[in-house]
Amino acid sequence: MTNITNPVTYVDSSTDFHKIPPKTSIEISDVTVSFKGQNGTFTAIKDISLTVKKGEIVSLIGHSGCGKSTLMNTISGMVTPTKGTVIANEKTVNGPGPDRGIVFQNYSLLPWLSVYSNIYEAVDAVMKDKTLAEKRELVEKNLDMVNLLSHKDKLPGQLSGGMKQRVAIARAFAINPSILLLDEPFGALDALTKGAMHIELLKLWNLDNRNKTIVMVTHDIEEAIFLSDRVVVMNNGPAATIKEIVDINIARPRNKKDIAHDPEFIRVHDQLLSLLFEKFSIED
Amino acid sequence: MVLIKVRSGSPYYSNIKIMLQTTIKNKSIDLFYFLGSILLLLVIWQLVTIVTKAEIPGPLATFTVFKELMAEPFYDRGPNDKGIGNQLFSSLIRVFSGFGIGSLIAIPLGLIMGASKVGMKLLNPLVQILKPVSPLAWFPLGLLAFKAAEGATIFIIAITSLWPTLINTAFGVSSIPQDHKNVGKAFGFSKWKYVTKIMLPFAIPHIMTGLRLSIGIAWMVIVAGEMLSGGVGIGFFVWDSWNGLSLEKILIAILIIGTVGLLLDKAFNAIQNAFSWEKK
Repeated sequence: MTNITNPVTYVDSSTDFHKIPPKTSIEISDVTVSFKGQNGTFTAIKDISLTVKKGEIVSLIGHSGCGKSTLMNTISGMVTPTKGTVIANEKTVNGPGPDRGIVFQNYSLLPWLSVYSNIYEAVDAVMKDKTLAEKRELVEKNLDMVNLLSHKDKLPGQLSGGMKQRVAIARAFAINPSILLLDEPFGALDALTKGAMHIELLKLWNLDNRNKTIVMVTHDIEEAIFLSDRVVVMNNGPAATIKEIVDINIARPRNKKDIAHDPEFIRVHDQLLSLLFEKFSIED
Repeated sequence: MVLIKVRSGSPYYSNIKIMLQTTIKNKSIDLFYFLGSILLLLVIWQLVTIVTKAEIPGPLATFTVFKELMAEPFYDRGPNDKGIGNQLFSSLIRVFSGFGIGSLIAIPLGLIMGASKVGMKLLNPLVQILKPVSPLAWFPLGLLAFKAAEGATIFIIAITSLWPTLINTAFGVSSIPQDHKNVGKAFGFSKWKYVTKIMLPFAIPHIMTGLRLSIGIAWMVIVAGEMLSGGVGIGFFVWDSWNGLSLEKILIAILIIGTVGLLLDKAFNAIQNAFSWEKK
């Protein structure tokens, strides 16, 4: 029997294994988003196409108001495209779903619920057929992962910004989504906490065998390089498009301290800087 | 619970001592001002008595009558002759009935108004028109509907006190931040979960504020209601004392009404604080 009649490809060696293209996780095709405002229609993003592979970490970077959050919200289903389609996990997105976990910019914890309940209610809403004990265990496991188990009875108001963000991340992980969407997740944190959170996030991603696809909106170049496989640079809005997609070829696991001296890091950092700031370089 | 033994001389001990001392000091300052306020009232009252040549009885004369009233607050000598305690008690029952009925209407209606734009647009004009109507104007309608003064009194308390609760509930629900709504959307909360875990918890402090304002109005309306309806109650007591030309009793009633109103407000304030998640 030849390969032509049998389309199934057999994997013979471990080197071949890595040649199998990973499954597509997200496919954005030709997406335009317009909002109807008081002064007519405002187009945030225009004709954007982007494919993200399973287990990939992709950052969306660009100046404020360039529509990077809008683009991400089309994946989460919070925003419906005016034109084009978004396919996530082989299904067309037409609303939020538990296969896509979201970590919001401002944590979005419910201030009247304890840390535990904030996660429990999300788990309870998504995993209806699990028993109470299973749901409890799941919440506690995820709280333990972000080292907050001892704070489970506190209210969000009693936590620091970094702790709140860890709760939000634990909540997103607890519903075990295959796609994780982070909207400027570390924007409000100080530099030290931010660095610790990057490592925390990669740790969680590793624990899950790097199976989760992560799409993150950020305006921090170092953060984008340290975390991502690819960085999507966006043009300024309105009607923003993708300017360039930059591959980050730095081996994992990456080390926060060593990476700063990596020639590839320095090269990509320069490239991203010039992509983002070419407009202002002449005026000074 | 962890018990920490505090020895005198340890830094903890002096801290606790300072804390206690400040609390006691603050409390005694508060008490001092409160007593000052009462004294001010008594002085003005006495001056009015002097100016009106004792036509309005002074604090001392009033206190003598107050002592007589308090000697037997719960006596009952027929339908038109009952002790001050009885009068106050009936009034409170009436106020809480009217307030309770009003709140049972106002809270669900407010939730509907706040949760749906159609509900808001449909009901808001109605609220704006009916809210400023005086309780006295409702009284004849109440009499017609319930064929009894008792029912009519409770009716006017309910219908005039429900507005702050209604408006605050509607405002609370309609001002739920998008962030909180997004949580429900992103994690696919059911309608029931959304109402019990997001809408109600957010609205409850607002509802409590509404209820506190409503009980204040209910207590204010009671006197007018009972003056019209007669029977037993603090409002009727005021009217009866006027007919009996006992100005002392009227002044006592005013002070009692004021004090009970203050206590009701304090009680609702405490409930309001207990439900507020913002301060925790």
